[in-house]
Amino acid sequence: MTMPNRAAGSIAGFDAIAMEVFANRLLSITETMAINMMRSSFSAQIKERRDFSVGLFDGKGRLVAQGTHIPVHLGSLMGVVEGLLKRYPREEIRPGDAFISNDPYAAGGTHLPDIAVGTPVFQGDELIAFVVNIGHHTDVGGAVPGSTSPTARSIFEEGLRLPVMRVCREGEVDEDLLNLIALNSRLPEERLLDLRVQIATNARGSDAALELVRRMGVDGFKARIHDLLAYTKRRLDLRIAGLAAGAPSRFTAWLDDDGLPDGEMVPLCAAVSVEDGKLVIDLTGSGPEARGAINIAENALRATAYYCVKALLDPELMANSGMMDSIVLRAPEGTIVNPRSPAPVGSRTIACQRLAGAIFGAFQPLVDPDTRIASAYDVLPSFGFSGHRPENGSFYICGETVGGGGGGRCDGDGMDGVHVHVTNSLNLPTEAMENEFPLHVEEYTLVRDSAGCGRWRGGMGIARTVRALHDRTNLEARSDRHKAGAPGAEGGGHGGVGRVTRNPGTGREQALPSKIAQLLIDTGETVRIATPGGGGFGNPAERPVALIATDLLNDIMTEEHARAGYGDALVDQALTLLREGRRKSAA
Amino acid sequence: MYRIGVDVGGTFTDFVMVNTEGGPTAFHKVPSTPDDPSRAIASGIVEMLTLNAVSPEDVGYVGHGTTVATNMVIERRGVPTGLLTTKGFRDVLAIGRQTRPSLFDWSVRKPTELVERHRRVEVDERLDKSGTTLAAPDLAAVEKLVVQLRDSGVKAVAVGFLHSYRNPEHERAVRDLIKRVAPELYVSVSSEVVAEFREYERFSTTVLNAYVGPHTQKYLHRLREKIASSGIKVEPLTFHSNGGLLPVQTVEELPVLTCLSGPAAGVIGSARIGAEIGESEIITFDVGGTSTDVSLITGGRAQFTSSRLVAGHPVRMPMVDIHVIGAGGGSIARLDDAGALKVGPTSAGAMPGPISYLRGGTEVTLTDANIVLGRLNPVALLEGRMKVDRGLAYAAIRSQIADPLGISVEDAAHGVVSIATANMSRAIRSVSIEHGHDLAGFTLFAFGGAGPLHAADVAEECGLNKIVVPQEPGTLCARGVLLSDLSRDYVRTALVRVNGESWAELVALGAELSAAGRAWLATEAIPDAAKELHFTLDARYRGQSHYIPVPLDTLSDGALDAFASSFHRAHADQFGYSLEGRDIEVVNVRLKAVCHVRKGESAAPAQGSSLDAARIETRQVYLGPERGWVHTPIYRRALLPAGVPFEGPAIVEEMSGTTVVLPRQNAEVDGFGNIHITLQR
Repeated sequence: MTMPNRAAGSIAGFDAIAMEVFANRLLSITETMAINMMRSSFSAQIKERRDFSVGLFDGKGRLVAQGTHIPVHLGSLMGVVEGLLKRYPREEIRPGDAFISNDPYAAGGTHLPDIAVGTPVFQGDELIAFVVNIGHHTDVGGAVPGSTSPTARSIFEEGLRLPVMRVCREGEVDEDLLNLIALNSRLPEERLLDLRVQIATNARGSDAALELVRRMGVDGFKARIHDLLAYTKRRLDLRIAGLAAGAPSRFTAWLDDDGLPDGEMVPLCAAVSVEDGKLVIDLTGSGPEARGAINIAENALRATAYYCVKALLDPELMANSGMMDSIVLRAPEGTIVNPRSPAPVGSRTIACQRLAGAIFGAFQPLVDPDTRIASAYDVLPSFGFSGHRPENGSFYICGETVGGGGGGRCDGDGMDGVHVHVTNSLNLPTEAMENEFPLHVEEYTLVRDSAGCGRWRGGMGIARTVRALHDRTNLEARSDRHKAGAPGAEGGGHGGVGRVTRNPGTGREQALPSKIAQLLIDTGETVRIATPGGGGFGNPAERPVALIATDLLNDIMTEEHARAGYGDALVDQALTLLREGRRKSAA
Repeated sequence: MYRIGVDVGGTFTDFVMVNTEGGPTAFHKVPSTPDDPSRAIASGIVEMLTLNAVSPEDVGYVGHGTTVATNMVIERRGVPTGLLTTKGFRDVLAIGRQTRPSLFDWSVRKPTELVERHRRVEVDERLDKSGTTLAAPDLAAVEKLVVQLRDSGVKAVAVGFLHSYRNPEHERAVRDLIKRVAPELYVSVSSEVVAEFREYERFSTTVLNAYVGPHTQKYLHRLREKIASSGIKVEPLTFHSNGGLLPVQTVEELPVLTCLSGPAAGVIGSARIGAEIGESEIITFDVGGTSTDVSLITGGRAQFTSSRLVAGHPVRMPMVDIHVIGAGGGSIARLDDAGALKVGPTSAGAMPGPISYLRGGTEVTLTDANIVLGRLNPVALLEGRMKVDRGLAYAAIRSQIADPLGISVEDAAHGVVSIATANMSRAIRSVSIEHGHDLAGFTLFAFGGAGPLHAADVAEECGLNKIVVPQEPGTLCARGVLLSDLSRDYVRTALVRVNGESWAELVALGAELSAAGRAWLATEAIPDAAKELHFTLDARYRGQSHYIPVPLDTLSDGALDAFASSFHRAHADQFGYSLEGRDIEVVNVRLKAVCHVRKGESAAPAQGSSLDAARIETRQVYLGPERGWVHTPIYRRALLPAGVPFEGPAIVEEMSGTTVVLPRQNAEVDGFGNIHITLQR
C-alpha cells in the first residue's frame, strides 16, 4: 500500500479535519474553566445562576473560543482584552501576571458588578494567549444593595470602578487590592472567595492552553486558530450573502421612559443592511443618553448585536473574532446606545433587551421566512424586596428577574413565561423564597389575555403576587413595556403590557410605575408584578378553530379577549366545538 | 441456581445468565419488540434457557433494566393526567424555571406540559414554610373537582401542594379522598414521590410518575404473566436509575424511579467488575448507536446526581450521574457549506441506520467510517449474523466527504473517527473536571456496542493510561443488572441550621425515614438477605444555595461533631476550600435501604490455547495518514488465552463488540475474561 497524502481541502491551506478536532480541544479548555468557576465559586449568582463567562484569546487579542450561559457577556470578554492591551504595552505584560477590571468606560466592561480577570499565557517568552473570565458580583458598593439602581444618575453611584489593574504580579496575588474591593462591597466575604476562584480558573485555563500548545507546537496552534477564525468568518459571510438585498430594513422599539419614572418614551432605532458583504447594524436615531441607569455601554451593545446575529442567522456559529469581523455597528456618540462617562449603566439589560427586540424586528424581512418570529416581551423585569428580618433583625435582599412571553413564530405559538434574548436566568422557587425571606407568595401564574393573538399566538407573561410579612418591607422594581405591548408580526396582534399593582383586588389597589426605586410597604400589603406577553404571528383569522377552542378551554384568554382578537365567527365555532367535546366526554 | 439479567434497548434486548454454583456466563441478544418489550424479554429468556439446556425451575432470579417509562414520556404515550395543586400555583408546571431550552435557537421550544392547563386544578389550601396550616382543603369542594377531572377523561391524578415536604397531611387527605371517590384513578402524591423542597421539580416528578403509572402497571402485569408462563417461579425485579433493583410492587407505585435505568446498570456493572480486578478509579465509556454515556467511579463508587431531565421534564430523584452526548455509531458525518466536517449530533439511529447496514441509510455515519477503515469487520457483524456492505459506505464517503475536501477516502473516514474521538474525549474531560479529578489516574471501562472500538483513540486523546474491556461489552448493562442489589431511596427536606437543638430534629426525621425503609425491606417481595440502612445529609454553608451530600455512619444524638468535620472535609475536597467558622445548613436527609443479594463470582470464560489459535485472519486496517494501511491480526475473543500479552495494532472481535488496540498499546486478557489495554508513553 502507498502512503496516502493528505491533500489540501477544497479551500487552500485549510484542514477541515484538523480544525474540527482543534475546535473540540478548545471547547474542552473553556469547559474546564467554566466548570471550575461553577464548582468553586461561593455566590449563588455565579454557581447557580451561572452569571459568568469564560474565554480564550490568542496572543494578538483575538477571541478564539468562549463559554457562556448569558449572551449579554458575548462582547464583554473582548472588551476586557482590548482594554488590557490599551492600558499596558505588550512588553509590560509578564508571565505570572493577571489583570482585573470592571469599568465600562475605562476598561471595556458593561456594568460594574461584572468583574473580569484576564491572564496572559506564555510559552517561553512568547505571549501566545489570554484566558479571561467575567463573573457577576452580587454587590460592588454604590447607592443601593446589589449596586444596580434604575435611578442612579451617574456611574459614581453604582459602586467601585476598577480600571485595568494587576491583581497578580509574577504569580503573587495582590491581597491589598482584593481587600480594597471586598471592603467596598456589602458582602465582602463572598467577593474575596469568588475573586480568588476567578484567578484560579484562569490558572487552570492557562495550564490547559499550554498543554494544547505543547501537543500541537506553537505553529500548529496558530495555524489552527487562523483556520478556525477564517472558517467562522466564511460561515457567517455565507449567511450574510443569503440575506435579502435592498435598502436598510428598519424597526424601532420604544422604551417607556429614560429610566426615571417621569421620563419621556425613548426610541431604540435599528436599521439593518448589507454593505460590501458586511452586515451593518446602524442605530442612528436612537434616543439621547438616558438620565437613568439604562444606558448601553459599547460592549453591552456589541454583546446585544452579536447575540442577535447568532440567533437570527446561525445559532451554532462559534462566538469568536471571526464572527465579529463581518459585523459593523454604528451608534452615534452621546446617545443611549453609546453613552459618555459618567452616564449610569447599571440596569443596561432592560435597554439591551429592547434593543435586541429592535434588531430582531429590523432583520425579519431579510431572514429566511421559515425562521421568522414576532416580538417577545423584550424586557428584563426585576424586583427586589429587602428589609430586616423580624426574628433577628438581619438584613436580607430577595431579588429575581422575571420571564415573560416569547414571540409567536412562523411555525408555532410563542413560549409562555421564559427569559428571552440576552438573559436566561432561573427563577426563585416559591418554597425557597418563603423559606429564606419573610415574604409570602400568594400567586405565581401565567397572565391571562397577555398573549398576542395570531395564526400563532404569542407567549404569556408571568405574574407573581407577594405579601409582606413585616412593616417597612422595601420594594424596588424595574420593568418596561408598561405603555405598549409587544408588536405582532405579519398581521399578528400585540401582546399584553406589564403591570405592577399594589394591593390588587382590594379597596387600596394602586397601579405603580415600571421603575420603582424605593417603596415601603407594611405587613399584609401585597404587590403583584405582571410581565408582558409576546406578540402574535400571522393573521389571527387563520388560527385553526381547534386551537382557539383549546386556548379558551385552558383559560389562556377570556372570551371577550378572544372575540376582540379573533372575531365572533371563529370564537362561536370554537365554543361550539368545546360544547360538543363536553357532551361527548359526558356520554 | 441460575440468575438472569436483561437490558431492553431500542434495537436489541440483551441477556446475561450466570450459575451461582459456577460455570461459564451465557450471553444472548434478540431484536427488541418496542410495542410490547415484555415479548422480547420472555422469548429471549426461553431461547437462552433452551440453548444452554437450563430448566426454568432452576432460575432463581430475573432482573431487568427497561426504558418503558422513559419512552412513554418521550413519545407522549402516557395517560390523560390531572393535577390538584395549591390555589394560585397551577402554572408552576408550565413556567418551570422560566428558562428557554436553547440560548440562541428559537426553533427549540420548551416541552408541552404533561398535564394540560384545564386539568391543572387549584385547591384552596395552604401551608406556611414551617408546615403550619394557613388554609385547610375543603374536602367537599375537592370531591367535586376530582369527579370533574375523572369525567373529563383523566386516568391518573397527581397531587402537589406547596410545602408538603414539611407536612404531608393536606396531600394525604386529598389522596384518601380520591381513592374513595374515584378508586379507578392512579394517584401520585408529591410528598410520597419526593419529599424535597422546590415545587417545580417536585411537582414535575410527581406528574411524570402519574402520567406513566397506569401503562407501566400494565406492562409489568404482562411481563409477570409471560415470565410465569415460561415456568420461572420468581418475580422479575426492575432496575432503577440509582443503581439498584426494585420489586414489582414498588415500581407500580413509583415507575418514575426507573427512568434512565439502563445506562445506570452499565455503571454499576463496571464498578463491580472493577472491584473484582482491583480497579477503583474508573471512567465508564458506553458508546451506543446514538449516544455516548460517560460516568465516573472513584473509590469504587459511582457518582450520583439528584436531578435529570427526561424529555425536557425534570425528574428529581437520586440517580447515577451520567453525562450523555450525541455521539454514537449512527452519528452522521457531513460537510457544512463553509467547508467544515461535522460528526453528530444528528444520528441515523437504528433506522435507516448506517449506509453499510443496508436498511436504507444514505448519509455517512461513524460506523460506515469504521467499516471503510477495516476497524469494524467489513463483511458481517454479530458473529456473521448481520451482513454489511463496505462498498456502499466507501462510495458515499468518497462523494459526500473525500471528493469535496480533495482528500483520499481513507483520510476522510479517518477524519470522521478523529472528530468523533475529539468530541467523546471532551465529554470525558468534562466529567472528570466536574468532580475535580485528574484523568491520569483513571482506567477507561469501554462497553456498549461501540465503546471498545473507540476507547484506544479516546485514551490517547485524553491521556488515560489504561483501558478495560469486559467480556461481551455490548451486553454489560444486562450484566450490571445481575451484579446489583435491591435498594430504595428516601428523602425529606429539613432546611435547618445545624446546632444541638436542630440536630435532635434531624435525628427524629432520620428515625421516620428508617421506619419507612425498614418497612419496605420487610415486605414479602424482598428476599431474606443482608439488609442495611445508609444515611446521607445534603448540607451547605449558610448563604449558599448549592449543597453537597455528606454520607454518615449513623444519624444519632452524638454524631453532630463527626458530621460537621465530614462536611468541612467534603467541601474542601469538592470545591477547594472550607469555612470552618461558618454555620452549616442541612437541606435534606436521605436514606438508602439496601438488601444485598447473592450474586455469584464472575466465572472465567473458556480460554483459548494460544494467540495463533485465536487469530481468525489478518486484515488491512487504516491507522491514519502517518501509518497508512497496516496488516493487522484479527482475534476472536473467546479463543484468546488469558495472561498472554499481545501488541497493537490488533483487533478483537466477539458477538456484541469489536475492540481496537492501536500501535504502542499492549493488551492482555485476565482470568475473568476482561481485556486490559495499557498505553506506552
